[in-house]
Amino acid sequence: MRRVWGVCVLLAWVGGGLIVPSPVRAHEAVSLEEEFVKGVFSPAFTPPAAGSYDLPAVKRVPWVVLKDLTGRSASTRQVTAGKVAVVSFIYTACPERLGCPLASLALQDLQAKLKDEGLARHAMLLSISFDPERDTPAQLAKYARIYGADPRLWRFMTASSERALDHVLEGYGQDRAPVYDERGRFTGRYRHVLKVFLLDPAGYIRNVYSAGFLVPDLVLNDIKTILGEGAPREVVKR
Amino acid sequence: MHSGDMRTRLLRVLLAGILVMMGGLVGSAAADETCQSPFLPKVTGQEDYIYVWTLGIKGVADGNDSMVTVDANPKSASYGKIIHRASVPGRHEAHHAGFTDDRRFLWAGGLDTSQIFVFDVGSNPAQPRLVKTISTFVKDTGGLVGPHTFYALPGRMLISALSNAQDGSGRTGLAEYSNDGKFIRTIWMPKEAPYGYDVRVNVNLNRMLTSSFSGKKNYMRPFGDLVKDAEAMKQFGSSVIVWDFHARKPLQILSVPGAPLELRWALLPNHHYAFTSTALTGKLVLIHQQADGTWAAKNIADIGDTIPVDISIAPDDSKIYVNTFMDGTLKVYDVSNPFEGKLIETVKLGEMANMVSSSWDGTRVYATNSLLSQWDKPGDYWLKAYAWEGGKLVPKFTTDFNPAGRAHIMNFGSKVFGPKAAAPAPRAQRVSAYAAPR
Repeated sequence: MRRVWGVCVLLAWVGGGLIVPSPVRAHEAVSLEEEFVKGVFSPAFTPPAAGSYDLPAVKRVPWVVLKDLTGRSASTRQVTAGKVAVVSFIYTACPERLGCPLASLALQDLQAKLKDEGLARHAMLLSISFDPERDTPAQLAKYARIYGADPRLWRFMTASSERALDHVLEGYGQDRAPVYDERGRFTGRYRHVLKVFLLDPAGYIRNVYSAGFLVPDLVLNDIKTILGEGAPREVVKR
Repeated sequence: MHSGDMRTRLLRVLLAGILVMMGGLVGSAAADETCQSPFLPKVTGQEDYIYVWTLGIKGVADGNDSMVTVDANPKSASYGKIIHRASVPGRHEAHHAGFTDDRRFLWAGGLDTSQIFVFDVGSNPAQPRLVKTISTFVKDTGGLVGPHTFYALPGRMLISALSNAQDGSGRTGLAEYSNDGKFIRTIWMPKEAPYGYDVRVNVNLNRMLTSSFSGKKNYMRPFGDLVKDAEAMKQFGSSVIVWDFHARKPLQILSVPGAPLELRWALLPNHHYAFTSTALTGKLVLIHQQADGTWAAKNIADIGDTIPVDISIAPDDSKIYVNTFMDGTLKVYDVSNPFEGKLIETVKLGEMANMVSSSWDGTRVYATNSLLSQWDKPGDYWLKAYAWEGGKLVPKFTTDFNPAGRAHIMNFGSKVFGPKAAAPAPRAQRVSAYAAPR
């Protein structure tokens, strides 16, 4: 129940901040989006059984040094430490309800599932901000608390500079574009495609999830599929 | 109740709350553009540009295949005009093209040479720029030939091929590449249904459909010769395959005789069906999920012996647009009852009508001509724009492609996908920043 209240607080916080909600329009649009969200958490299909399919490597991501919630520098290599990692890119001011908040709710659900399944020692979650200026370690810590992130399982990191962040985004293939108003002023918002990346212990992207297919049960089966492959690929120094 | 169920229910309630609280912040959930991958952000309002992957003609301009940009914004001084042409070296049988998941890059293929050209459309949406050429498709994939559909999946491109290097027949498969252009894997079609053509995914159902055409020795052969060769005319696909998308495994092979080509999933989430048309038998076909979860195919309209080619679906799933090659016509079918297609509108387009694309808001329709270089008849090449006004499709502009080449597939562009995104426009003109529900 704490989680529920946490999310409510988040909504109030986000809703009271950058967002100026426009009136709810066509009933149909809302019901469609409701269907969409429902699809994410209780899909109209049973995900294929873990180990019954292949997850070929898409690409290898670079290990990067970022700041953790204490403000200390740490390499993502140390943070993911030989585990299967689920990596999301978010920013705490994101107003797109089917963007970052949805990704974080999915990771929250996944966190609980990993604990339920006894996989907490073999997998971890990592959320990296793409707003280094405003998402300070303190701000991210607040966000992590609201989502009930267990620091043993779900870590948050932010880049020390825009340049450092660009390197990370390039490595993952994650887009991000600042949004400007009609007078050319930065609105504080970023346009980005919601992507969540599944990394094997050697740092290879094995799957990418986007809105519509960020199904916690499916991600869980993918994690089990990788864990079931036996010895991880040799970790290549990059 | 199981704790997971409880969690899911709570999340649903909370998210329903979010939707009510923040109603109207994201773009319309209806969707072409409607045939684009569900993983792509969509141009939900007025498109600024139409990118036309265009076959080069010897003696016309530089003679090369090119990505031609047509200005599609009625407020622009160059509305309806070609404003840019990015050519590639040589002619490759330019055919289909598709965006990456973030719409920053447009991949375009050549059916003859199996080359893939990647254009940057994000840096300057008005001027696509060739940034990468993949010349190793046949080798990478272990012998696939003729990259056809380019379909965005998160972080990668799914490409359906038409043929193979061994015998040029229709035995073929699917290939996956990372967005960086690195080969990931090949999935051959099952032996019982070896042909390929289009590929489309329904994420709500975890189902993927593939359709079936013919191999290179047929599609690169002059049409007049081909139709006289009874043996060659038997070498066309006659099935639609239903796949488990996530596992990439075929589940069911449906008999759809006569070369089913383009596949269009219905867009509303509770509509568990798709449409295709058969080139050789002239049928509009419904592919639908049955009560027991299995799939079936049903002919829902007789289009006639006119070679239906491209089809497009209205964003509310109420209509299917069909272009027919032989008589150069656009036919609109009411499919609000998906089991029965009713012809409600016919527009004479002109020779060799081929591709057709509806806008996301359903008010505009574009068509081009040119099917395959060896199958086209001599004639003019064009892009034509129509809009629904008073229940009829009314012509808006015709872009003369004769100075550029043979106009083939259209993809919509928007300034919103440029490097400096504009602030959200009024809802009706918004581009959704997330992939659309399907």
